[in-house]
Amino acid sequence: MTAPLLETHDLVKDYVIGGEVLHAVNGVSLSIKRGEFVAIMGASGSGKSTFMNMIGCLDVPTSGTLLLDGIDTKTLDSDALAEIRNRKIGFVFQQFNLLARTSALDNVAVPLIYAGLGYTERRERAQAKLEAMGLGNRLQNTPAKLSGGQQQRVAIARALVTDPLMLLADEPTGALDTQTSLDIMGIFQKLNDEGITLIVVTHEPDIAEYAERRIVFRDGRVIEDAAVKSRRRAVAG
Amino acid sequence: MSKLLNSIAGWGVNIAIAMTALRTNLMRSILTTLGVMIGVFSVILAVAVGNGAQVSVTQQIATLGSNMAIVVPQPDSGSGPPRSTDRGRLTERDGRAILRQVSGVSAVAPQIRSSVQLVTPGRSATTQATGATPEYGIVSNVTASEGRFLTDGDVGAAARVVVIGQTVADKLFADANPVGETVRINRVPFKVIGLLESKGSNLGNDNDDQIVVPITTLRQRLQTTAMQGPDDVTLLFVGFEDEDSLLAGQQEIKRMLRDRYRVPKGRISPFTVRTTTEIAETTGQVTQIFQAVLVAIASISLLVGGIGIMNIMLVSVTERTREIGLRMALGAKRSDIRNQFLVEAAVLCVIGGAIGLTLAVLAAAVFQQVADFPAPVGLDTAFMSVAFSAVIGILFGGYPAIRASRLSPIEALRSE
Repeated sequence: MTAPLLETHDLVKDYVIGGEVLHAVNGVSLSIKRGEFVAIMGASGSGKSTFMNMIGCLDVPTSGTLLLDGIDTKTLDSDALAEIRNRKIGFVFQQFNLLARTSALDNVAVPLIYAGLGYTERRERAQAKLEAMGLGNRLQNTPAKLSGGQQQRVAIARALVTDPLMLLADEPTGALDTQTSLDIMGIFQKLNDEGITLIVVTHEPDIAEYAERRIVFRDGRVIEDAAVKSRRRAVAG
Repeated sequence: MSKLLNSIAGWGVNIAIAMTALRTNLMRSILTTLGVMIGVFSVILAVAVGNGAQVSVTQQIATLGSNMAIVVPQPDSGSGPPRSTDRGRLTERDGRAILRQVSGVSAVAPQIRSSVQLVTPGRSATTQATGATPEYGIVSNVTASEGRFLTDGDVGAAARVVVIGQTVADKLFADANPVGETVRINRVPFKVIGLLESKGSNLGNDNDDQIVVPITTLRQRLQTTAMQGPDDVTLLFVGFEDEDSLLAGQQEIKRMLRDRYRVPKGRISPFTVRTTTEIAETTGQVTQIFQAVLVAIASISLLVGGIGIMNIMLVSVTERTREIGLRMALGAKRSDIRNQFLVEAAVLCVIGGAIGLTLAVLAAAVFQQVADFPAPVGLDTAFMSVAFSAVIGILFGGYPAIRASRLSPIEALRSE
């Protein structure tokens, strides 16, 4: 049996606000296997985003252990963490976070710059991912010339361009209408079928039903961790 | 090898990112560049003018003639302005004694200087007349490019003959050949026997704006200020055979003059003996100070330009905090972020430097034409200034760039 992709032991993140210590994440231990599709739910302030940021190596835990692909992240310096974000993790954000006035192709190619790839290879790989997202005819469009759904698909192409082990999506449908949200979840399910691990943070219960496992946070702790009973299937758009 | 190629490619990417960022805020980029541009422009121009001054001075000294001492009947005032009080007397007899007694002296040229007015039909000019002997030509390298110079015969006969400079010739005769023509000097008719070889001008001082007449003639017919004796001169040029005898001779002349005029021990000698070497050194020092002051002032504008760069880069970092966070999330290392902003600052500076350099070269050329003053911009200056502006960019862009690279990815991502 291979090691889990992600393992946390008693993970804690404290913030000091106005002299008071706030336990944003207060002792979370869980593990996520390769190929899982996990939804992380909870009200705002429940600690789900903080947890997400830590497993995405964007934020450092106050205490506890985080094993990512078998590596204890405590032992890594900022350069090594940057490399993990680059090679092993793909991020999808609520607000898409595309570079303005930059073509879809160049946006998708950004992670490959930091992976040290040459110009031609960057363009070829970025183009292939955009084509896989059905955006082959939008390569030169800037974000301003793309719809919300198209922008999120560009962002997914960017998250996938380094062929990461897992995709972390923070409220990926939060800025999208119902139909477009369905399309995006369809894409996620298809990607998951192809073997990529998916972790989606959402506060919408019906979005969580596209995942196969649901983890619910409240006050910095996991209060529920179970398989989704009646899982929904979306037709990929 | 591939690592090197990658790092070059990495910088290429950074330049591309920088260019995009600079294009995005085009107006701001132009204004920022303007600061560096003006700074580099003024530094280069200051260096060029300073170099020009030095070239000028060197030429000026060269026109005086080499291995020469100048004796004037005034107390030595160091490098300050000459003092008009306590004037001594200096005579042709002193000159003859120097030639006889001081070793290594090749010729002595006594001179009287006087301001005169020249008139030809329909034209006139005011200039300085030097009353001289043929030795003047030998000692200070003066020859006639047309006609002839003074002879002993001219001096002995106190002939009314004149050798005129190119500028005077232009004023009085336009394009016509002046040799053989007549000119009235202070109303006395003189025959033009020669045209002085042109020595150009230095630091706004026209070496061709002068005339030379026999010393005897000047004394008899043109002198406006009375001298104490019939034999008195304004100054002596003493030519030496070589540099060694010049140095020894300078002291010897000083001693001799003290003896001849019985200057008591402890009193300041009423004579100054300067060598061309000393004059070259003093003026060289003066122009160096002049250049240093110019460059220092110009550097302040470059400093201000650099501060402008730092200011804009700080704004840029603040504005693009979210972008920095995003890039970090996508795998940018701290050094990547730092380099991105460094390159951006350096690109701003190098563009500003290049434009400033171009404008400075043009301005120097115009200056040279209009002011008749050499202002050479060397390749080294050009290269230095562009390199210098890149250094300014890295220096002043460094702090904002490091600040950007120290941001926490998550905090940067969260910022609005």
